[in-house]
Amino acid sequence: MVTMSIGEELLEERRRRRRAGDPRLTPQDREILRRVVSGDLMEEFQAALDATSAADPLVGGGDIDDA
Amino acid sequence: MIVIDEYLAVRVLRADWPEGLPDDDLGLPASRHWRLLQALHNPRGGQLSQLLAELSPGGRDSIRRPHPEVVAIVDPRPLLDDAAAIAARFGTSGLLIAETLAAGLANGEELWFGTDRNIGGLVERAAPELGISIRVV
Repeated sequence: MVTMSIGEELLEERRRRRRAGDPRLTPQDREILRRVVSGDLMEEFQAALDATSAADPLVGGGDIDDA
Repeated sequence: MIVIDEYLAVRVLRADWPEGLPDDDLGLPASRHWRLLQALHNPRGGQLSQLLAELSPGGRDSIRRPHPEVVAIVDPRPLLDDAAAIAARFGTSGLLIAETLAAGLANGEELWFGTDRNIGGLVERAAPELGISIRVV
């Protein structure tokens, strides 16, 4: 039988919570966000990120290609 | 702490842990959180805005204030001096680039991205000179 120290148990619990994601998300939220970051809306999402950099010189430094 | 981009932050929030991403605390640079928040709060029309508007209140909160045990927002204040030095060295005034590189330098000399399209040319050029490895998962 493998025994874990208290420290190891705490680390394992922390790892489990990290991997479980944010509990505030509903299944529908998870599906929406899946489409945004790895589905059909990925292009549009990247365009939105790039647009923020392009529109805000403090963030993007005025160089669209590099931001 | 592992420094990640917007894509990986959202994936981890929805419990989609990317294969190859080490099991460690995750940090999203503040300026990258800012870009994520802009997508949420500043709809530009199109399907993305429509869908983000359909997030539940809890779903919106998870983006607005990510649970720190899942994704922490990296405090930019201790990084600003290094970020300014990096910006000057590589000829940019963009906080996103400089802060991301400074965060990577201070946290294991690695930066993790969810897609190579989100790296940016200057980060790609500057990272090796600073000894920072770029990982895409």
